[in-house]
Amino acid sequence: MPILIRLGEVLERRHMSLTELSEAVDITLANLSILKTGKARAVRFSTLEAICKTLDCQPGDILVRSDDSED
Amino acid sequence: MSGKEKLIKGSWFVVRSGFVVNRFFLVALAIGLLLSWIFPAQFAALLISPNSGIDVRAEMTGLRLLMLIGIAMSVATDRLFVALVQIIASARAGDPFISANARRLQTIGCALLALQLIDIPSALLERFFPSLSSGAPDFPFSPGGWLAVLMVFVLSRVFAVGSIMRDELEGTV
Repeated sequence: MPILIRLGEVLERRHMSLTELSEAVDITLANLSILKTGKARAVRFSTLEAICKTLDCQPGDILVRSDDSED
Repeated sequence: MSGKEKLIKGSWFVVRSGFVVNRFFLVALAIGLLLSWIFPAQFAALLISPNSGIDVRAEMTGLRLLMLIGIAMSVATDRLFVALVQIIASARAGDPFISANARRLQTIGCALLALQLIDIPSALLERFFPSLSSGAPDFPFSPGGWLAVLMVFVLSRVFAVGSIMRDELEGTV
């Protein structure tokens, strides 16, 4: 998929675990794990907003378009 | 057990009973049809009084056709019950909005359509063999039946689209 998820890197920079983020944004650990591993097919704006608010970042820090696009 | 669970369990019991009764009816008709060829004289004597002035041979043909119609109705009803039992089982399992149920609803629609169409040979049978009229299924034009066919096909499409939407949502975080 040409869209890559950089949640792991952002969490690392913030010294935060996925469990802590899960508690902060009130999204299940299982769903955040799906997002982090790039297995999610879609992301709700509300999810993205909650994550960005907690991690104090922009959506572009989490979602990155890969250059080797399949299109 | 909640009211909804009771309803599903009750429906399952009713449909399952109907399924068993219909299978019994199907087997009985098939045996009856077979016996009408193996023992035609005894079969005719059982059903038609000897001095009634009725053409026994013609009436036997009518009777066999009636049993054939009954078998066709029973087969269509069987398909309907099988699909309905599977839909209720998926509802009991807590996951009825699946593409398989859309296909099952389509099967039910086809079975209902077949049952509606079987009304036509039934009406012809009643016309050409009036003495069988009490045995032949009635042929009132049933707008409700045709509406049910339409409704089930529409519902099947709704289920198909709904299950696709649900699949898409499953991967949404």
